[in-house]
Amino acid sequence: MTLNLSEAEMQALDELSVKKDLSKTAVLRQALRLYQTIEARLELGHKLFIEDTLQNDKSELMLL
Amino acid sequence: MSEGPSPVILTDSSSGDAVPAILLSQIGEEQISDWNQYWRPALEETLARLRANQVPKSRWPQSAHWDWEFKTKQMRGLLAFRGFAVIAQGVTQGLMRVDLNHNARLPAQAGKPLVYVEYLETAPWNRSDIATPRYRGVGSALITAAVDLSLEEDFRGRIGLHSLTQAESFYRDACGMSDLGPDTMYFNLRYFEMTAQQATAFLR
Amino acid sequence: MATERDETWWRARAEREQGHFIAAGALAMDPDFASAFRPQLVEREQSRVAFGKFIELMRRSKGWTVEDLASEADLEIGDVLLIEDDLTVLPEPRTVYQLARVFKIPQTNLMQISGLSVPRDPNLRQETVRFAARSQSVERLSDSEHLALEQFVSVLSRAAVESASDQSNPADENDS
Repeated sequence: MTLNLSEAEMQALDELSVKKDLSKTAVLRQALRLYQTIEARLELGHKLFIEDTLQNDKSELMLL
Repeated sequence: MSEGPSPVILTDSSSGDAVPAILLSQIGEEQISDWNQYWRPALEETLARLRANQVPKSRWPQSAHWDWEFKTKQMRGLLAFRGFAVIAQGVTQGLMRVDLNHNARLPAQAGKPLVYVEYLETAPWNRSDIATPRYRGVGSALITAAVDLSLEEDFRGRIGLHSLTQAESFYRDACGMSDLGPDTMYFNLRYFEMTAQQATAFLR
Repeated sequence: MATERDETWWRARAEREQGHFIAAGALAMDPDFASAFRPQLVEREQSRVAFGKFIELMRRSKGWTVEDLASEADLEIGDVLLIEDDLTVLPEPRTVYQLARVFKIPQTNLMQISGLSVPRDPNLRQETVRFAARSQSVERLSDSEHLALEQFVSVLSRAAVESASDQSNPADENDS
């Protein structure tokens, strides 16, 4: 399978790869796992919240 | 390691003999069935004493069953979750489930992905809090599997877990993991992590 | 990747376990200790009982045998039996999805009462418990069972409409 990524996407992939100490393939795998897990939770009717610990604020991450 | 079963060797505590076993890279119906048929009854005998003073009997045993089955069913088919089982003499001796969606917390590796051990349990007859555990090596085989998976996934052997109170010395001393202290967000269980270096030492 | 590990290697590890207890994660905890943190579980059991009864009554209200329902919903007969008879076993998500389609019940609500997802609607929770109490297992659906079933179906459908209208805000779509 060939991926067609833009320059910006390739750069983001590179940066994550360095930051996470992972190969680019491994970064994409992590992204896929996370995406699938979130989708599964949303399908069960769960909601995803992000918490801003500094502002002590929680809000829903809309992923429709 | 990620696909088919792989060989493991346990030790029979009484005879000292080597016991051939296998590590499965999934938790299937048979393992759940073993859990229901063999683990729970043995466990309930031990818990009967504790339960006497606490939550009414009608409430609890079902709930343990629920939670395990509930979580297993919810996770089925998801890439981020992997189950492992150690089988010996045709019976499930230990179970583990890991989550690949977690990041490390230890400052030296903060933000880097690790294999998080969500759940690890050995069969009641292998627990060292009863008179003589039948087989030794089950827990180690499972932790080894977690570290192997971490290496396979490019996570360099990093793993993380929340230890039960009585198990802390195993992770700290026998496995050489770093102790990050009690986690107030998780039942106050102590959170441990293994670094890449610790993983190398562990596998040596 | 895993190097060949011989018996010595494994035995050494087994030795190191001497005197140690090994377990990790909340699921492995002493259930009495854990139950203090998870009061939702009992509710889930009650819900599961209601779910089993509900499926059974819906089936019987259509004059279907277990085989008929299995055929209509493209399920294994064993799955249907588990749903109706073994109230300790959780259904597979696909099974709930298929039943929701066949009985034309909003899927998210059926998921909640099946025990697969956490109940969020307090009204639905209440009605589920009430329904479970009112339904009994007799051969033919009695008048009171009919009534209980109809009322419950309307609650299930209403709850979905209400929650759908809560979510209909045109929020910006975030690319994830």
